[in-house]
Amino acid sequence: MGGDSDVGQPPLKRQKLSKPSHKTPCEGSRTGVAATGSAALMARSICSNDGETVGSHGQIRKVEFVRIIEQALFSLGYQQAGAVLEEESGIRLQSPAVQQFREDILAGRWDECVATLSEIGVLEESTYKAALFLVLQQKFLESLEASNTTAALETLRSEISPLGVSTSKVHQLASFIVCFPEDLLAKAQWKGAGQESRQSLLEELQQLLPPSIMVPERRLEHLIEVALQVQREACVYHNTLDHVLSLYSDHRCSRDQIPTRTLQVLDEHDDEVWFLQFSHDGYYLASSSKDCTAIIWEVVEGDSLKVKYKFTGHSKPVSFVAWSPDDTMLLTCGNEEVVKLWDISTGQCKYTYDKPNSCFTSCAWFPDGKRFVSGGGDKCIYMWDLEGHELEAWKGARMPRINDLAITTDGSHMVSICDHKNIRIYNLEEKTERVIEEEKPITSLSVSKNGRYLLVNLVSQEIHLWDISAATKDLPKKYRGHKQGRYVIRSCFGGTDYAFIVSGSEDSQVYIWHRWNGELLDVLSGHSGTVNSVSWNPVNPHMFASASDDHTIRIWGLSNRPMPKKHDEKPGSSNGFDHLVNGGTRDLLENLRPFNSDTD
Amino acid sequence: MGRLYLIQLDGRVYSCRCCRSHLAQCDELVSKSFHCRHGKAYLFNTVVNVSLGPQEDRLMTTGKHTVADICCNSCQQVVGWKYESAYEKSQKYKEGKFILERAKMIDGDGGNFFLETHEVDSDAENE
Repeated sequence: MGGDSDVGQPPLKRQKLSKPSHKTPCEGSRTGVAATGSAALMARSICSNDGETVGSHGQIRKVEFVRIIEQALFSLGYQQAGAVLEEESGIRLQSPAVQQFREDILAGRWDECVATLSEIGVLEESTYKAALFLVLQQKFLESLEASNTTAALETLRSEISPLGVSTSKVHQLASFIVCFPEDLLAKAQWKGAGQESRQSLLEELQQLLPPSIMVPERRLEHLIEVALQVQREACVYHNTLDHVLSLYSDHRCSRDQIPTRTLQVLDEHDDEVWFLQFSHDGYYLASSSKDCTAIIWEVVEGDSLKVKYKFTGHSKPVSFVAWSPDDTMLLTCGNEEVVKLWDISTGQCKYTYDKPNSCFTSCAWFPDGKRFVSGGGDKCIYMWDLEGHELEAWKGARMPRINDLAITTDGSHMVSICDHKNIRIYNLEEKTERVIEEEKPITSLSVSKNGRYLLVNLVSQEIHLWDISAATKDLPKKYRGHKQGRYVIRSCFGGTDYAFIVSGSEDSQVYIWHRWNGELLDVLSGHSGTVNSVSWNPVNPHMFASASDDHTIRIWGLSNRPMPKKHDEKPGSSNGFDHLVNGGTRDLLENLRPFNSDTD
Repeated sequence: MGRLYLIQLDGRVYSCRCCRSHLAQCDELVSKSFHCRHGKAYLFNTVVNVSLGPQEDRLMTTGKHTVADICCNSCQQVVGWKYESAYEKSQKYKEGKFILERAKMIDGDGGNFFLETHEVDSDAENE
């Protein structure tokens, strides 16, 4: 970072006290932008008061503010602009001593570096020594590389060791003396003399020295990114695939981002539809029904579904389906009946898995796609391969009745619902187990895609979200509002970032909550019977499907056609977003009351 | 309609006479000395697979109570009622407990065994 070295100006020992001799001409350069930055803390007018602070809340120190702007200008390559700002404001990004220090480091003038280091500012003893160590280490290594062993030895003896910093490191450095220059780079994990290693030395020093002396790199960008992250999290309806947020106004999605309109009603089934699930790639939807069949639907042109296969063969209602991890095969489970394996490419049943007194209720694939487990009311869990062979069986007197089964996508945990109220999380690698006891019976289980969370529906009309890895003492997040009491109702995660929880309900409606703050976002009507199951398309955050007792499946999408989301091409256009200018996000945040007092 | 969620109980269980779904465990039995319009009735601590109807006030031999009828989830038959609240202090022990009519149940074993009853006097409930 260059800037002209104004040697004439006295070094500013304590930056905070600098009072500019002339006013900073802020108005001229700022009025062009109506809302500066998206951080709720940044103000409209910067020169609201002379002296120490800027911003409508008086929380930003003017000196720091100007300095990080200067840094941003320099890092963008606008050297002149940065220099002009320094001159006009009288606030320098860094004191001349620091400037000198930086230049010395990049040029390799080590002795000057050492001298400047003591002048830089008020440093703590340990920091000073650590910084000195780093500089001298670089000097040492560079001399070694240049095969100037005597100089290196000299440095080590007279300069590094007296510091008293980390004798083990000193020994290590000493050991480098005896190795060849070629090995040196590998052993010391050092990039070799040159700009690159000096630059990284500079960065290391930057982290070591207090920030008031050397402002951390890219500070302004970091502050803005943090603010954008806060907005993103505060945005309840946030459901776009877009990663770039505009800086002009506080980001907030409108309700239009959630699918709320029925796009299609599928009525191929002859009886109640009990379960459905999208394939992992989002191309297919599998649904299963009381009419003892399962149907595979194909998603064409991104948003309409057509029947691809109809799987018959079960003699009991099909209550569960599971896609293989690569979506080439499907398992269907009859309601306390057999499990059948289907090949998606041919549509044929490859195998039927049976056991005497088979009463399988659910099954789950292992991530390798070659094995799966099934569990049921006969109190056994079986592991099978794709040819019909039983690989393993967990049974015994202490085995409980299994109501639902799932395996996390990384294959680390097997989760089962046992004896109606217990969630058993079995760690497959460590063979340890953790049991969460619920107070009310659980009707269904759903595991998040990243394998960290699980969702259970209880008969007491609550949905609980548990963290698989956390200690049992943490309370789960709870979602309420829907109706459940007699039937198996299922729920699932949905949206980008899985920020939504969707569930069916006995009052024929679909309920959508915001996952993090528990707010009920929407209740969708349309079905004329209990909604048994929902599934959100994993690749399309704007589509989900619901299965109901009214024999139909509804596909839900956005209520307006999705508009192009290129912010940089359309500045100032609404794009379906509400405009929140400065302060809006703060109000929004204050309204999001803490939720169940546990954090994620 | 929908996939019924029925809880399976272990041990000796009382089931619905119509559809055989489990209603209550023997361990949860509190007293056998109750009566209803159709005959004998048992008092249980907890029952499963039932849904609650609307609450109403009823006058019974032991006084006025607020009760809610319970019906089997599977076959929709009324199998008894739940005591929501009792107006008389001596009857407060019943609150939150359930009555299952003997006529609507099937015993797990067929056998009767004697259960120590509380200091409950003859509780004939007039329906």
